[in-house]
Amino acid sequence: MVLSGDSQLFQIIGVTLRMSLTSSLAALLIGVPPGILVSMYNFKGKNALIVLNRTLMGLPPVVCGLLCYMLFSGNGPLGYMKLLFTVKAMIIAQVILITPQIIGNTESYMRLICDDIRATALGLSLPKGKILLLALNESKYQIISTYLFGFSRGIAEVGAVSMVGGAIAFKTNVMTTAIMNYTNRGDFTMGVALGMILLAMSLILNCSVYLIQGKVNK
Amino acid sequence: MKVENLTKTYGGRRVLSIDNFNFEKGVIYAVLGANGSGKSTLAKLLCSLERADEMSKITDIGKVLYMPQKSYCFQMSVMKNILLGGRDEKRAKMLIERLGLTRLSASAAASLSGGESARMALARTLMSKCDMLILDEPTAAMDISSTSVSEEIIKEYARENGCCVLLITHSVKQALRVADEVIFLYEGEIAEWGEAKSVLNDPKDGRTRRFLEFYGA
Repeated sequence: MVLSGDSQLFQIIGVTLRMSLTSSLAALLIGVPPGILVSMYNFKGKNALIVLNRTLMGLPPVVCGLLCYMLFSGNGPLGYMKLLFTVKAMIIAQVILITPQIIGNTESYMRLICDDIRATALGLSLPKGKILLLALNESKYQIISTYLFGFSRGIAEVGAVSMVGGAIAFKTNVMTTAIMNYTNRGDFTMGVALGMILLAMSLILNCSVYLIQGKVNK
Repeated sequence: MKVENLTKTYGGRRVLSIDNFNFEKGVIYAVLGANGSGKSTLAKLLCSLERADEMSKITDIGKVLYMPQKSYCFQMSVMKNILLGGRDEKRAKMLIERLGLTRLSASAAASLSGGESARMALARTLMSKCDMLILDEPTAAMDISSTSVSEEIIKEYARENGCCVLLITHSVKQALRVADEVIFLYEGEIAEWGEAKSVLNDPKDGRTRRFLEFYGA
């Protein structure tokens, strides 16, 4: 399939990568700062916020897809944006799904080191912005792992993207929805082939991230 | 610098209760006491790392620098770590040299031993001026010669800046060597305080006496 230059396959791979890379990056940018802030500072409602986030970490993709569908459908509050059945809607749905995971992962990790960082940095009278930057620098290895986790969740997700994307050929069809479609049609060979390509993509990304993490660690 | 009715309660247990105390500028105070006597809590309250109970009053405290017991080594070189405390490279080099860190200044801070990390943390804390310097067991991980150099540097810093220094320590001998005055904490309260030699050689309070009998002045 890959060697024959199947245009639909390359289109599916393109949409899949665009969607997963963008949504995981956006979720990372949105989720890491609050994850660090929640772990470093005590404030009223902190525990409630952590519990709420942990609840959202278990948000079923189909429920997320349903909410986004209602939001973006013609009669929905954001219907005027005409995003339903577009890659943008799929990315938004994935950001909603992945962000709580990023916040939770960051908070869990930072909780282990934040007390010492905070005591040391405040003891030096460093401004809050500088402390946040230092905390980010201290967790860069973990942030890369967290990004990888978000990407893995994004690339393997099917429920939300099929609902808001509609799995339209040459437009919003991604690897997971394509596998589902081929399987539903009884074309298991194509389904398995696409599954293998999906795994290979994940392997390549994991290897690249592993090499980057090695350099970061040095 | 004055504290009035300074209290701290954790989960219903009062761990610190100081009615009234004036910290004088230019004086080095050694804070002594057994584990859990409230030494570190006092330090954290004075540098606003933790919030005191309501009605507690800390006034005219000025700029406070604090070196915690477990100082963090940031993932950067020793020199960059020290420059976090202030941008004066000349001073950084002087402190690095005196604390025996010259050959390590370009090394990653994470590769330092416990004693080296403590020396780096002390240098980092002493990079800028302040009104109150709080050091929580700064030499606990250091060997004898590093401890001696560190004590000299701390005394010089206090003399040059005219600031108040709070040295939290378990070493009675260190308190005698470095401090002008001693505050002895017992179960969160000041059991005795006064001129270092007087308190440590001739304690008036029974709790201080028992502590000194055990640790040996």
